[in-house]
Amino acid sequence: MLFVEFRFFWFFLAVFAVYWSLRGNRNRKIWLLVCSYFFYACWNWKFLFLIMASSALDYFVGSMLARTDDARKRRGWLIMSLCANLGTIAFFKYYNFFVTSAAAVLAWLGLPASLHTLNIVIPVGVSFYTFHSMSYTIDVYRRKLEPVRSLLDLACFIGFFPQMVAGPIVRASQFLPQLRSIRRFSDVDARGALVLFLTGFIKKACIADSVAPFVDRYFDAPWNFATASAWVAVLFYAIQIYCDFSGYTDMAIATAGLLGYQLPINFRFPYFAENIADFWHRWHISLSSWLRDYLYIPLGGNRGPSWFVYRNIMITMLLGGLWHGGAWTFVIWGGLHGLALMGHRAWSHRRDLLPQVRDMQKHVPPKGPRSVAGWFAWALTIYWVCFAWIFFRAVDLPHAAPALRSFLFLPGGGTQDLGAWMLWIVVALGFVHWLNSRGTFSTWWRRPPAPAFAAGYGCAFALVLLFIPPHYAPFIYFQF
Amino acid sequence: MSKQLGKGFLYVAIALAAFIATSTVIHALLPPMIPKGVAAKLKYFSEHKDEFDTVIVGTSQLYYSVSPKIFDATTGENGMPTRSFNFGIDGMHPPENFYVLDQILKTKPKNLKSVLLELGEVRARWFPILGTQRAVYWHDWPRTELTLKQALNPRGNANWFIQITRLWVARRDLASNLVLFGKQFANAGRVADLFPAAERERFEDAALELGPNRDGYRLAGDAMSAERAVSYQERLAEEISTARPKILDPATQQGYRDAAALIRAAGAKPIFVVPPTIFQSPLQFSQSPPPAPIIAFNDAGKFPEYYDPKSRIDDSHLTRAEAEKFTVVLAREFVPQTVQP
Repeated sequence: MLFVEFRFFWFFLAVFAVYWSLRGNRNRKIWLLVCSYFFYACWNWKFLFLIMASSALDYFVGSMLARTDDARKRRGWLIMSLCANLGTIAFFKYYNFFVTSAAAVLAWLGLPASLHTLNIVIPVGVSFYTFHSMSYTIDVYRRKLEPVRSLLDLACFIGFFPQMVAGPIVRASQFLPQLRSIRRFSDVDARGALVLFLTGFIKKACIADSVAPFVDRYFDAPWNFATASAWVAVLFYAIQIYCDFSGYTDMAIATAGLLGYQLPINFRFPYFAENIADFWHRWHISLSSWLRDYLYIPLGGNRGPSWFVYRNIMITMLLGGLWHGGAWTFVIWGGLHGLALMGHRAWSHRRDLLPQVRDMQKHVPPKGPRSVAGWFAWALTIYWVCFAWIFFRAVDLPHAAPALRSFLFLPGGGTQDLGAWMLWIVVALGFVHWLNSRGTFSTWWRRPPAPAFAAGYGCAFALVLLFIPPHYAPFIYFQF
Repeated sequence: MSKQLGKGFLYVAIALAAFIATSTVIHALLPPMIPKGVAAKLKYFSEHKDEFDTVIVGTSQLYYSVSPKIFDATTGENGMPTRSFNFGIDGMHPPENFYVLDQILKTKPKNLKSVLLELGEVRARWFPILGTQRAVYWHDWPRTELTLKQALNPRGNANWFIQITRLWVARRDLASNLVLFGKQFANAGRVADLFPAAERERFEDAALELGPNRDGYRLAGDAMSAERAVSYQERLAEEISTARPKILDPATQQGYRDAAALIRAAGAKPIFVVPPTIFQSPLQFSQSPPPAPIIAFNDAGKFPEYYDPKSRIDDSHLTRAEAEKFTVVLAREFVPQTVQP
């Protein structure tokens, strides 16, 4: 069940109506859990047991961590939880990747081996809900969070349907406190949530799904296309992945908001970033901050000599790339971002700009670049980000090569054309995005009285549906 | 809390009302969305509507089996000259055929005298083509209602308890038809249809679809292979052994009754045709006489020539040579029907 499908509207209407009609907090949480599991079971009910097992295990580990002060035992419980969660991801997402890579290395060494791959179905959202789950155990281990008393709370947190399958990656410390007190309807910003949902719907159904056929056409056989088409396809993919993922996130935040829960934001106009570090403070914020807090900092973070910091950056980004899927293209994508982050850090260090960069990252200006140097830095950043997207989108390295050649201004080789005029669509969408970043659309819809807003919302939805393509594409991040 | 919730539901009702009103207005303003495969024939027919007095509406079993040129020659030889158009469309089963018939009659063809409508059962299962325009465009309420009725009561003999039980059994059919109705009603994705590229795509195979004589007849291929013939004959034998008169379900009967009434209101005579399909059970209406005369060919005992593997491309379609012979027989059967009151 996708947020953009008709049946989701009926599903959510039922969830919403019953949820707010129930009196006690416990009853509401049980209802939420039942609905969340139903939502997941619509895709594949068998993998529900995996979520249940993950929730039960981390509840048990959390309880055991609270019972003992023995550092060795505590570490042992933590390792058990990490092994179970990471083992789940490793088996479902990376088994075939590791096996085929090992076979390739052995063949290269002159030791050909026939290792068996498995026909494994990857459970939807496995990377997301295991990260939710791990954040709980690690925070309890670090004594930053009290373990939950009720399994229901933890199961609700891990299985909460708006964020279960594609994030944002919510920390236990952000969500569990919200489950402890009963939500009040009067605290819900229904108007804000509804507008956010419509915004997400437009991004996903009208923009991402409309450009997707062009991107697919190009990346299915990139060697058939001329240079200009590569630019159209790569820029369209940049639009598609942003609108697809941020659209999903908007709808997830809005859906949770209508039930009285707050989820963290995941995007802050990432394509207006003036440098790559700034980009990672605006793109998939919940993942980048998770990796920072649970991987980069434990590795040593910014402490120590430069080479040590660069090593930490590269390990974090390579694993961040691999998190997206078992393929070398994702590893290269992470590596390219790691290289850019290292380069940016070295350059900032040399120019003594680190304090300024840090300051900028703290405030994260939502608007675009403001100076000539800023425009140049922005262009360089967006070029590098799009260059890296080629690896993210291509099914393998041979499919990436023609796009890379064209993106480096070398002749494409093919003759087919997607239509260079479509670059104007990129410009038009960029302009709308820029207006949005300046707050042009942010408040006027709060002014009319509630009945007028409701009527306007109904009309707006009817108009938006005119623009959706006939086929819904699954959310890109569902596969992760 | 309850007061706030009450207000909330009031606003939801306002939003829904605004949504329905806006969708209805847009629906009325936009031209009907006719997909590829249907658009070329409908456009050609509307441009030449007054040239034809007989229309043949059905699935590919009529599309590839009735040549209007031969049909008209035969009716002329039998003293009832016609000028016919083959409106057969690949996979156009009921209730899609009722919608297309509606569109044909809306063009108000002045000289229309007869409509040969293929008789078949209403289909409620559309999820294999759920995301396509072809599944959406005909899902207006009258047609969707027929599919829902068929899904709930496919044999036509269910009491209220069985129908309620079937809510669960037929949930996917019910849901998919309602989703398709929702898409049709809400004009989902209609802007894309208005672009010239979509228009070009709709008509890119127009010449093929209209056939070499531009009369809607598409030439069929050669006979099936020997390997395929074996499985075909096994299936045919099974169909013959299990054949027994079949009363059409209520939804199908209602659809055909309404269609016959619509044809008569347009000043023409309805005639139902059952092509030589592999399904051998004679189709019957619960009330006699049926809403229109039925010309049936699905009897391997009576028409063995159509069931010879050498006469068929596959389980459903006749070869080109056999189609021409079939057209002559159909035309001869048609002539006496037109003179009866």
